[in-house]
Amino acid sequence: MRFSTPQDFNQYISSLPPSAARRLWVCGGPGCLAQGAEKLLLALRNEASKTNKDVSCQLLAVPTGCLGLCERGPMVACQPEGYVYEKVKIEDAQEIVVETLISGRPVSRLCQDPKDPTASNHPFYLPQKRLIMRRFGRINPDSFEDYLRTSGYEALLSALSIGPLEVFSRVENSGLRGRGGGGFPAGRKWRACKDAIGAPKYVLANGDEGDPGAFMNRSLMEGDPFSIIEGMTLGAYAVGASMGYIYVRHEYPLSVERLKLAIKTAENFGLLGDDILGTGFNFNLSVIEGGGAFVCGESTALMASIEGREGQPRVKYVRSVERGLWEKPTLLQNVESWANIPLIVQHGSEWFKQIGAPNNPGTKIFSLVGQVKRSGLAEMPLGSIIRTLVEDVGGGPQKGRTLKAVQTGGPSGGCLPTSALDLPLDFDSLPEAGTIMGSGGLIVMDNLSCMVDVARYFTLFLKNESCGKCLPCREGLEVAFNILDDLCCGRGQTGHSDLLVNLAQGIQDSALCGLGQSAANPVLSTIRYFREEYLEHEEGFCRAGRCQGLFLVKIDRDKCNGCGACQPVCPAGAITGREREPRTVKVEKCLGCGACLTACRFRAASTERKVAGV
Amino acid sequence: MSEPKIKTPLPETISGNISGLIDGSQVSANVGDILLNVAREHGFRIPTLCYHPGLTSDGNCRLCLVEVNDRLVSSCLYPLRTPGFEVKTNSPRLKRSRELVITLMLSRAPKSKVVLSLAEEFNLKPDPRLARTKEDQCLRCGLCVRACQAGGAEAISLVGRGSERKVCGPFFEPPIDCVGCLACAKVCPTSVIDFIEQRDYRAIWERHFPLVSCPICSRPFATQEELARPNADQICPSCRRRAMAQALYDVDYLRR
Ligand SMILES: Cc1cc2nc3c(=O)[nH]c(=O)nc-3n(C[C@H](O)[C@H](O)[C@H](O)COP(=O)(O)O)c2cc1C
Ligand code: SF4
Ligand code: SF4
Ligand code: FES
Repeated sequence: MRFSTPQDFNQYISSLPPSAARRLWVCGGPGCLAQGAEKLLLALRNEASKTNKDVSCQLLAVPTGCLGLCERGPMVACQPEGYVYEKVKIEDAQEIVVETLISGRPVSRLCQDPKDPTASNHPFYLPQKRLIMRRFGRINPDSFEDYLRTSGYEALLSALSIGPLEVFSRVENSGLRGRGGGGFPAGRKWRACKDAIGAPKYVLANGDEGDPGAFMNRSLMEGDPFSIIEGMTLGAYAVGASMGYIYVRHEYPLSVERLKLAIKTAENFGLLGDDILGTGFNFNLSVIEGGGAFVCGESTALMASIEGREGQPRVKYVRSVERGLWEKPTLLQNVESWANIPLIVQHGSEWFKQIGAPNNPGTKIFSLVGQVKRSGLAEMPLGSIIRTLVEDVGGGPQKGRTLKAVQTGGPSGGCLPTSALDLPLDFDSLPEAGTIMGSGGLIVMDNLSCMVDVARYFTLFLKNESCGKCLPCREGLEVAFNILDDLCCGRGQTGHSDLLVNLAQGIQDSALCGLGQSAANPVLSTIRYFREEYLEHEEGFCRAGRCQGLFLVKIDRDKCNGCGACQPVCPAGAITGREREPRTVKVEKCLGCGACLTACRFRAASTERKVAGV
Repeated sequence: MSEPKIKTPLPETISGNISGLIDGSQVSANVGDILLNVAREHGFRIPTLCYHPGLTSDGNCRLCLVEVNDRLVSSCLYPLRTPGFEVKTNSPRLKRSRELVITLMLSRAPKSKVVLSLAEEFNLKPDPRLARTKEDQCLRCGLCVRACQAGGAEAISLVGRGSERKVCGPFFEPPIDCVGCLACAKVCPTSVIDFIEQRDYRAIWERHFPLVSCPICSRPFATQEELARPNADQICPSCRRRAMAQALYDVDYLRR
């Protein structure tokens, strides 16, 4: 069915039958899929078909976008009641179908708080504002009808009546800033691209998401593909582009599949392609699979890769909005930036500016991982305090540990100490503190993380991902890594920290592209806030007990309650002591591996400096 | 992907004369002029390594950085477009980045004459803490690759990511398209490309080339592959010069 006028399409939307009264939403986010959500979905469908003769009943269990609490997956939600179940097993399927799907009652034992089955007061969800993720748990990402029933394509319909100029000014006035890292004002790029001379113009979506462990863009592409497509259609309409590409790394086959299906659907309905809804507006969109190199997320490398050349950044002093892909005016935005566009066009810029903080409007999806009780995807208004995300949403550090640092912005971000926990998460405050927003990664570290080791880890990643084109990044990161490695392996020397600072600042200034220019952040931020630890490493001591052989372990007899958890984990058998009695470490035997530090939940085991001669 | 075939009007090109400051002195340039050239014409010293006036610039060595309106840019690629530009070629930030680049070059190619003379000019010593276990003298500047491309052979390229990056022929084999012109070896700032050049024989990149003799003077002068290139001169350079001189003389003589 192809709609040839906006009116036809509008009529179709209003004539859609309402969706089933009650549905079970099985989280299809990356975390839950890895924990067996697919089998769970089948089990639920199987149970549904057993209990009810009606075949269509099976279809009441539906996959949906990421429900957020990945660590406690697989998750299941039930609408309209809003029950949220955690850690659901196949064995629970029958009860969920009988109790919840058929009778609308909660299965309390699967809820975080049995007294609050709708999770309305769940500390994980309470501080969040799920705008971009609003359809997660409400629609089947593959279902066009579900998308339409949740206000999908309303923005495009209103855009076609208000005209491209008004669409542009709504976006410009909204103050939206790019979600892919830099926080560059979208309006300025749109204006430059709109005014640029040349045809065709291109709009591109950056779905490369190269940060290790990050999955917010992936969840978005898999959870609500139509919102990205609608956003891009609006962008193309506003700046006068006729072609678009969504660049997705090939490690995300499901994202690719969902986006392709969604594009096909939109084409079939006359919402993409030539003469969209009979208005004469042409916009062709396709998906490009990238090789998955981190540097391909950089704008010039991404365009080189789409053009079929080696994915390598280029020195360009003419902006890509003027001359980008194939030297034509090109508007590149992150997929999450694009998903904001329909909301802005539909509700207006004033509405958008009320969310978030001044100069930082809207929300941002964060992937919260590391040493917190609850990890997962959380969408927060910009300007939220880091502490809210770490302590309320994430539930704070694990038992027996203390918070030490928060790393934001992906591999080329920086580490902040606990004293910075009251900083707002926005595009201006984080750079002032020496880190970046990046695409929204947030890693929580506790007292067992060694900051030198952390810097080494990220520098290794960046060194391996450096495209190798320019000298400071290629050579500089290699020597920086070697020095960090020396520090972590007991080959540290006095002056290494200063040398690293020099090196890092030089790379920051001289590298060709954003990768090299930001690659110094891990080193610079950890030295800025944790210099003592660096100086200790120069002398061969690691207080965190992370760098092997750079510490001794002592057990505090007053704190040790004799649980003995440390004894079996010690590979050297250096820990002795009787049942229920405080343990002791035989210094001569201890290898300095730190296994006991991780095992102790009562903070009894701690590190001390090696004494000369031991 | 290949470029979709749609006819494009070119963006209008602005032209004209603009002026601005380099280290405080007034200079003028045409719109689109490359900053490095303008600065050098006016006598400013900007060191370069990966730049060659006869080849397309790549901007990879980062030695030629200068400060334009508080931003560091590679002058070998930077087109002057706006009047009133303010360029610094010697700020403290530039000094730091230049020193880093040369120090890193020293640690990678400590034997290169070009690098040693840069180090001397800027008063830098190799830092033993940055020394490599395996220094291989190649700075991955790609001059060789670009020289080869400019000659039309495109026999070698830089492949691999990060520190794995190196110059080689396709599939790490001796480059089959190499014509033995030695352009790469001659342009290499660290002279790291091995070659043999004898009276009637050349070898480079593990390829061997007997030389063909000049039909006029019988001196061996070029490889078979060089002569097979389109528009290749079939006689040796000195005979060509002599022939040109003769032709000029003939013209002059006839005119008289
Ligand atoms: C090394 C490097 C990697 C990047 N990776 C990504 C990425 O994975 N996704 C992304 O959206 N932007 C990435 N960026 C930022 C893009 O270059 C570009 O600024 C962004 O896609 C623009 O969209 P936005 O304004 O909507 O953020 C990266 C930049 C650099 C320097
Ligand atoms: S900064 Fe690194 S990634 Fe960017 S061009 Fe230079 S070598 Fe390549
Ligand atoms: S071989 Fe020479 S010219 Fe080629 S990249 Fe290496 S240093 Fe540059
Ligand atoms: S000379 Fe300009 S970057 Fe190398």
